[in-house]
Amino acid sequence: MIQGMAALVSMNGITKFFGPVKVLDQVDFSIYPGEVHILAGENGAGKSTLIKILAGAYSDYQGRIVMEDHEIRPSSPLDANRHGIAAIHQELSLIPSMSVADNLFLGHPMTRSGFVMEKAHRQSAREVLTRAGVNVSVNTFVEDLPISVQQLIEITKAIRLNARVLIMDEPSSALNAYDVETLFALVQQLKSQNRGIVYITHRLEEIHRLADRITVLRDGKLAGTALASELPEKKLIHLMVGREMEEQFPRHTMQKSSEALRVENLSVYKAGWGHRPLVDGVSLSAGRGEILGIGGLQGSGASELFLGLFGALPKRTVGRVSIEGKPVRIRSPREAISHGVALLTNDRKATGLISPMSVTANMCAASLGKLSRYGWRRPREEERMATEMGRTLQLRASSYDMEVGDLSGGNQQKVAIGKWLSISPRIMLLDEPTRGIDVGAKQEIYQLMNELTTRGISILLVTSEMPELLAMSDRIIVMHRGIITAEFSRIEATAEKVLEAAMGKINGDVGTTRKETDAHAADN
Amino acid sequence: MRSILKFALCAVLLCFLATMPIFAAGKTFVIGMSQCNLGEPWRVQMNADVKREADKHPEIKMVFKDAQNDVLTQRAQVEEFVSAKIDLLIISPKEAQPLAEPVAKAMAAGIPVIVLDRDINGENYTQFIGANNVKIGRALGAWLVKNYGGKHAKVVEIMGLQTSTPGQDRHSGFMDAIKGSDLDVIFSVDAQWLEPQARSEMESALSRFNNIDIVYGHNDPSAHGAYVAAQAVGREKSMVFVGIDSLPQEGIQYVKQGILNATFQYPTGGDVAIVQALKILAGQKVEKRIVLGSRMFTKANVDAGGVAIP
Amino acid sequence: MLQTIRRALTSSAGRAFLELLLVILLGVAFNADGAFFKVGTHRDTLRQASVYGILACGMTLVMITGGIDLSVGSILAVSSVSFSILTMHMDWPWWLAIIACLFLGSALGSMSGALVSNLKLQPFIATLALMSFARGFAKLITDGKKISTYVEQGGKVIIKQLPPVFKFIDSSILGGDVSIVSVIFLVCFLAAWVFLARHKWGRELYSIGGNEEAARLSGVPVRMAKFLAYTFSGLMCAVAGIAQAAQETQGDPVTGDGYELIVISMVAIGGTSLAGGRGGMGLTLLGILTIGYLNKILSINAVPDAGRRMITGVIIVLAVLMQKRRTK
Repeated sequence: MIQGMAALVSMNGITKFFGPVKVLDQVDFSIYPGEVHILAGENGAGKSTLIKILAGAYSDYQGRIVMEDHEIRPSSPLDANRHGIAAIHQELSLIPSMSVADNLFLGHPMTRSGFVMEKAHRQSAREVLTRAGVNVSVNTFVEDLPISVQQLIEITKAIRLNARVLIMDEPSSALNAYDVETLFALVQQLKSQNRGIVYITHRLEEIHRLADRITVLRDGKLAGTALASELPEKKLIHLMVGREMEEQFPRHTMQKSSEALRVENLSVYKAGWGHRPLVDGVSLSAGRGEILGIGGLQGSGASELFLGLFGALPKRTVGRVSIEGKPVRIRSPREAISHGVALLTNDRKATGLISPMSVTANMCAASLGKLSRYGWRRPREEERMATEMGRTLQLRASSYDMEVGDLSGGNQQKVAIGKWLSISPRIMLLDEPTRGIDVGAKQEIYQLMNELTTRGISILLVTSEMPELLAMSDRIIVMHRGIITAEFSRIEATAEKVLEAAMGKINGDVGTTRKETDAHAADN
Repeated sequence: MRSILKFALCAVLLCFLATMPIFAAGKTFVIGMSQCNLGEPWRVQMNADVKREADKHPEIKMVFKDAQNDVLTQRAQVEEFVSAKIDLLIISPKEAQPLAEPVAKAMAAGIPVIVLDRDINGENYTQFIGANNVKIGRALGAWLVKNYGGKHAKVVEIMGLQTSTPGQDRHSGFMDAIKGSDLDVIFSVDAQWLEPQARSEMESALSRFNNIDIVYGHNDPSAHGAYVAAQAVGREKSMVFVGIDSLPQEGIQYVKQGILNATFQYPTGGDVAIVQALKILAGQKVEKRIVLGSRMFTKANVDAGGVAIP
Repeated sequence: MLQTIRRALTSSAGRAFLELLLVILLGVAFNADGAFFKVGTHRDTLRQASVYGILACGMTLVMITGGIDLSVGSILAVSSVSFSILTMHMDWPWWLAIIACLFLGSALGSMSGALVSNLKLQPFIATLALMSFARGFAKLITDGKKISTYVEQGGKVIIKQLPPVFKFIDSSILGGDVSIVSVIFLVCFLAAWVFLARHKWGRELYSIGGNEEAARLSGVPVRMAKFLAYTFSGLMCAVAGIAQAAQETQGDPVTGDGYELIVISMVAIGGTSLAGGRGGMGLTLLGILTIGYLNKILSINAVPDAGRRMITGVIIVLAVLMQKRRTK
């Protein structure tokens, strides 16, 4: 498939400065028809910058981009589209208040003498979506769809533009296992159409499955390009971080301990009446210093379980909770914090951090009461706490007064974690703590989780990365559509068993007790 | 359920009917008053003048409607009066053009219409009663020339809203009167009838000019605001302050307290309207247009009720 | 020189300061026969801007939460007429009247607060409703008339003495160069500043404006913090109303009409974002002075009304454009 054909696009000697900082240094990168070319590297390595240049977002660079023997210089994303290059970024470009059909034709509507052909749009949209394997009604408003589906639609949009080179920046980050399969199928489709795909990902399983070639960037320079077959995992990671990494998941064995958290019959209902609950009578317990992993696919209810436990949905949550044997009432995040419960949300930008505020301010956001005297803030105390916390977490920020929105993903997550550590939690609910973070930072977070548990803190861990779930958890429970379908000890658990349970298999039976409720849960 | 609805509907209808003007046998007349707004104290005064005069005549029943300064509301209210078949309509319209048609409808329905203070377009009404702002401005200017001419007096003019007819008229009448005299208008600003605004503008004038002799405020509150500003820097005694409106609780008071040297009355005509209304209802012929006379008040004559302006 | 300007443009405070500087340069250029250079002119500018300034103290806090308060002019009117009625007609002692008005203003503000934080109404709508309600209330208790020392009692008319507190508030100190109203404004400014910059509550307000859901999930008492912001705004309106009554020596039910737009533009061009999460009292002060001086310059030059509106519009657009120079 690759040999004998000429490259679709060739980038030669690309160098880019942001002010005095050199972010790309003489990078070469090419894409051939019908290949999936993985672009790998730690955060800050320059991957985003490189693809932004290719996609027309930056026109100020040195070097050449050659397409079919002549040099191009895309001046804008629209211009890049015209050359046949389309990019799907992590920040979706869909308009939430418009329908799927309208979004697919955004910017390129089919018109007849100035009037938009709505019916033709819907028809064409239906076709494209079915071919891509995405199952949504074209009239739905994008904002009513889950993030995972939105991402698939974003990809379908790019396909519609007949791009010959597709650039995907972590397309699977918000997708569950089922949608990821849809994505992979799409990628295969695009390969068979001889398009070239540039794929940025942090997930090793994806690299295993998809890569034809892999290019690794490190600190703005090209660390190496090779066929996937020539880059086994260890070598790949070595190229990315510049050091050998033996053990990816440093979880140590845990001793038996006393119970820290007990949840009995917790249910979280959807707003409105007559809907099936998002969390349906879940009971669990976690010991001191234990990491309880919670597995599940999209719609499993794991995130809602956390929100309910944390008191974030007081009007829709029922159930009993005890902490260290004592029953507690948690009807607001404030009360949760007062009992030593912390919640690290799965979307730091939307619900975890306050972008315009400084690093210090974000670190103190949950413990303002502790840090002030009779309500009056003590800025020196705040700074001291933030600096200490930052040191513990190995936070990399040029100044703690800078806006947290300007930090890289990994550092942002550290700030969020720091915020929660500052309340001296007894129980930490971590929802996708390593999403969108580079390998080095992930390691640091795993180390941190270990260290916290040795101090007696219990961690409940929701993660969609199977290796992480299997390796870091002492025990695993699996949720499917609001109920617990399985529980495994560390030794028993395997990826297949967990995935089965996540897809509905209840410890041997295939969802028998849920048959009746399934019948009139069709409104879901 | 449906019976409750029917009962509620009947109750609402009954209440509605109860609020409509009642027809009494005999010589009781229902007069409707359509006021464009009650935000200006001067208009509150107009309604008060109407009511005061109407109270003297037990055969009159007044119905007041306030259009809250909205043209469409006033149109609707006039139409309501027409449907209620009142005996006479007094209207002080928000604007001349849009209210002409509803007034015409009233005339066509046999309801005589008295237009108060602000004109409507065309001639399709029974009578117009109003004061003439140009005349008042001119009288004021003439009074100033008579009493303070010959000394090259410097005048600060604090104008009313220049996009409104009264503001323009009070200015043009004044300028007309002082033409040829040695009164020099050195500072002329639009304070939009508002006292705090007038005070601020006067402060600017005070800081800019060392010599100010006369301050002419298009309404009494403006003149008062200017006085306060001058007083704050101790220059009020060297200045003459004149205003227009002469409301009993404003301009008249200011003259009595020695704040204003003179105030020129802008009569509301409310009481005249009732007097004329009675004539019309008795079947007498009345003049098409009545220009209200104005009075002016100074400290000397204020207790005596001022002196009429020719 | 160019370097300092460029560096100044990178911070909100620098930009706000530059705007003020430009307006002052305008004043120097168009100084109306030297009027701009007199001390009295600057004292007057501060006095005239003070009532708006007091309102801006409350508005800043509300805008930092991402909200807005359209009712400031109306609540000012309620306070103004209430103060006049209590002292002039009902002969209440001045300190009791002040306390009553502050309470009344805070109560009205708290109504907006309840609508926004408990009933989850949009601030624009909630305060619009209060704007109408308060204005109606002011007209109701005054019967649409101004409240002054001219009092109708039992058919007769008597002229009362102006309560001394009115004269006091409307006077100046320091040899006539600083008006009491400006001092009141300064006190309000310091109070607002200290809450925003040094109190837990202030930080909570910034968090709510920056990302309300993230703030809530961090344990910030969102409802109470927002409620207090609107109540504080009402309190500021009450103070402003008392100052306004003193300066007008009357309680006017239609006073304050349109003030909300002036105050919002002062806060906005200072650099506090309408979206919330950014800004502060220092920036607002610069905005107050910028608009205050602009009004003064237009006034001493006797610029006709139409011209003033257009020039003010242009300046506001330029100022906001300057504030938009954040590189993203």
